[in-house]
Amino acid sequence: MTKIAVIGIGQSMRGDDAAGIEAVRQWSEKYPETAVRPEIQIEADELPGLGLLDTLHEVDAAVLVDAVQSAAKPGTIHRLDEGELAAFISDSKSAHGWGVAETIRMGRQLDEVNSAIRIIGIEIEQVEIGAGLSKSVRDAMPAICEIIEEELSILLR
Amino acid sequence: MKTIEVPALARVEGEGGLYIELQNGKAVEIRLDIYEPPRFFEGFLKDRFLQEVPDITARICGICPVAYQMSSAFALENALGIKISPQVRAMRRLMYCGEYIESHALHIYLLQAPDLLGKESALELAAVAPDVVKNALRLKKIGNELLKAIGGRSVHPVSVCVGGFYQWPDAKKINALLPELEWGLQAALDCVKWSVTLPYPDLEIDYEFVALHHPDEYAIIEGDILSSNGRKLSIAEYENGYIEKHVEHSNALHGYTVDGSTYMVGPLARLNLNHEQLLPIARKAMKDAGIKLPITNPYKSLIARAVELVQAYEEAILLVKSYKPEGRSFVELKLKAGEGTGATEAPRGLLYHRYRIDDNGLIQFAKITPPTAQNLPRIEADLFALAPKILAMPVAEATLTAEHLVRSYDPCISCATHFLKLEVTGK
Repeated sequence: MTKIAVIGIGQSMRGDDAAGIEAVRQWSEKYPETAVRPEIQIEADELPGLGLLDTLHEVDAAVLVDAVQSAAKPGTIHRLDEGELAAFISDSKSAHGWGVAETIRMGRQLDEVNSAIRIIGIEIEQVEIGAGLSKSVRDAMPAICEIIEEELSILLR
Repeated sequence: MKTIEVPALARVEGEGGLYIELQNGKAVEIRLDIYEPPRFFEGFLKDRFLQEVPDITARICGICPVAYQMSSAFALENALGIKISPQVRAMRRLMYCGEYIESHALHIYLLQAPDLLGKESALELAAVAPDVVKNALRLKKIGNELLKAIGGRSVHPVSVCVGGFYQWPDAKKINALLPELEWGLQAALDCVKWSVTLPYPDLEIDYEFVALHHPDEYAIIEGDILSSNGRKLSIAEYENGYIEKHVEHSNALHGYTVDGSTYMVGPLARLNLNHEQLLPIARKAMKDAGIKLPITNPYKSLIARAVELVQAYEEAILLVKSYKPEGRSFVELKLKAGEGTGATEAPRGLLYHRYRIDDNGLIQFAKITPPTAQNLPRIEADLFALAPKILAMPVAEATLTAEHLVRSYDPCISCATHFLKLEVTGK
C-alpha cells in the first residue's frame, strides 16, 4: 500500500502562517472519503524543523501545504515541485527555522527521504500574532482544498 | 580601518546583532545587540489560572519547552506546598532526558560541529560527512520520540501539570524505546571520544560557574544553586545572589551576581560543578577520553554536552526499565494564596521562575529568568578576552571565530527576550 502524508505546516497563532494547517483541516472536512482512506496520514506541523524528515522518511509520497511569500498577490496558490522550492528558501537563520526547502534538501542528500513530494504554497499577507487569516487567504481556501484533492487523486491512482 | 559585516549570524536561536569595535589592538566596545522584540510572557501570565502556566510557558521555546514547563510546575507546587510523588519525579527526569538528548544532539552536530570542521552549515557537513549527520538525526529523533511518548507530542508537550502529569504515559510506548535508547547510548559514547579530537580555538577564561547542585544525582530538577566560588543558595534564595539589569542595547535583561560580576550557566558549569554525581558509564566515558576538569574553554562546551548526552541516555535507560505507573498521576490541588520559586537546569543552563498567586490560584506576579539572559554579559566578556587574538586574523576568520564563540553558548535569544547580525569594526 502506498503511504501518503498530507502535511499542513505553519504556526496556528501567527496570522496567515496558519494557512497550511487550516487548508489541510478544511480539505479533510470537505473530502472525508479521501481523508479517511488507510493510505492517507494527515499531519499538522506547527514547527516541524528537522522533525519533518521523520514523517517524510516513512511515506512514499507527501503533499506539503505551506504559507509562502513572494511578489505574488496574497491568496495566490503556487503548485511547486522541489526544484522550484529554492525560490522560496526560508530567510530564517535560526535552528527553530529549519526551512522546509533546507530540510528536504538535507533529507535527499542523506538518502533519508525518497518520497515523491508535491508542494502547495499559499501566498500570504501577514504573520501577526493572534491576527487570524486574512480575507485574501480565507477566500483562497476552497480552491486550495480542490488542489489538495487533485494532487491526492493523482498519487492514489 | 577594517569593517566586517555579516548580515545574520546563523545557527543560534533568535534575533540579535554583534558589534565589535577594535582600536589600537584592543576592543573598545563589544555589544550583543538583542533587538528581538520583548515577548511579555510574564505579563501574559497575570490573572491566568495556575494550571494554565505550564502550557503557556512551554511556548517560550520550541527546543526546550520541557525546561519551561518543569520550572513553572515546580515553582507553583512550591507556592501551594505540594510534594510530588517519587514516580512523578522520575517521569519528569525522564522527560528532561528526552529534551537534553534532542537539544544536545542538535547543538553538537548541526549547530557547532560545522564551525569546528570548517563547514558553513549542517547541509554542507551532510555533503561531506553524511554518516555523522545521519547519526546526529537518529540521536536527536530518539529524544523527540521520548518526549512524544511522555508528552503526547515532541514540540510543546501537553502532559505536564502542576501536581504531576495529567495521565501516566503508556508503559508499552515507553518500553518500546529501549532498543533505540541502547543504540543511542553507544552512539553518545562515540560522540565523547570524537569530541576530544576536534580543533577547538584556544581561549581560557577564569569563570564563575553557577548550576543547580544535588548531592545524590546529576542535578536537573532540584537542588541548591551552587557557584564555583563557594556561594551556595537555596532556590528560594536565588534572587539574593543573582540579579538582572536592563542594558540599553538589549531587549533581554542581563544577569549578574549581586557583586556585579558575570557568571556562566550551562553544560560547562554543570559538568565542572557536578561531575561527581554523573552515572557510572558517563563518568567512565570521561575518564577513558582523558577529559580533565575544570574545562575553562568556552568552545569546549561541546565536550560537556557530549558527556551529558551519555548521561541522558544512561539515565533514560534506567528510568525506562524501572517505570511502573501506579496510583494517581497527579496530586489534587488545594488552592491558597502564596508565593513559590522553582529552578531546573535547561539544556542551556539554570532556569529560574517565581510566581505569586491569589486565593483562587490566579497568577498575580511572574518572574522568569532564562539561562541565556544570565550568559549574555559573560558572552560579551568572553568576546573582550578573544579580541586580541582575532585582531591579527584575516577578517573572515576573525568573524567566524567570534561567531563560533557566541554559538558555543547555544544562546537562545528567543527565550531570553529570534537572527543575529554581526558587525566588526576595526580601526
